[in-house]
Amino acid sequence: MDALNAKEQQDFQKLVEQKQMKDFMRLYSNLVERCFNDCVNDFTSSKLTNKEQTCILKCSEKFLKHSERVGQRFQEQNAAMSQGLNR
Amino acid sequence: MSFLGFGNGQPQLSSEQKIAAAETELDLVTDMFNKLVDNCYKKCISTQYAEGTLSKGESACLDRCVAKYFETNVKVGENMQQLGQTFTNAGKF
Repeated sequence: MDALNAKEQQDFQKLVEQKQMKDFMRLYSNLVERCFNDCVNDFTSSKLTNKEQTCILKCSEKFLKHSERVGQRFQEQNAAMSQGLNR
Repeated sequence: MSFLGFGNGQPQLSSEQKIAAAETELDLVTDMFNKLVDNCYKKCISTQYAEGTLSKGESACLDRCVAKYFETNVKVGENMQQLGQTFTNAGKF
């Protein structure tokens, strides 16, 4: 495929930034959904209990560490695959 | 693709087309990454949340999960290619 010239690269960069913003919002709302479903099951009170808060904290931390690790492995696999194609 | 006699073998892509192609590629990679995050989380992470960190077992599971997802990707690609060929050949008279 033809490489992008400077102007095209600039346009593409703008697109990437828009997508990153959207991606971040999606990550956030997915994390809320995930930790809510996994941690909040008691509706005898309208406030989060201490136990629920601890669970949510650990859930968020764990998910971020999870996606960080998957990201690293993803990059490695991607690099290995494109090397295989160029051989 | 010599449309209207302008072509010289290679298709001449406009800026919009080139950027659209790059966008499609980016979307494809992003989509795969998101699926990987979702599916490997389901398969590897304990929802007991005893710790905020990844356990040894979870980490090992994740590494293997990503590798296997890629391998599955390649295998399905190969299978589809084969199916496509069988289909094309069957269509010939």
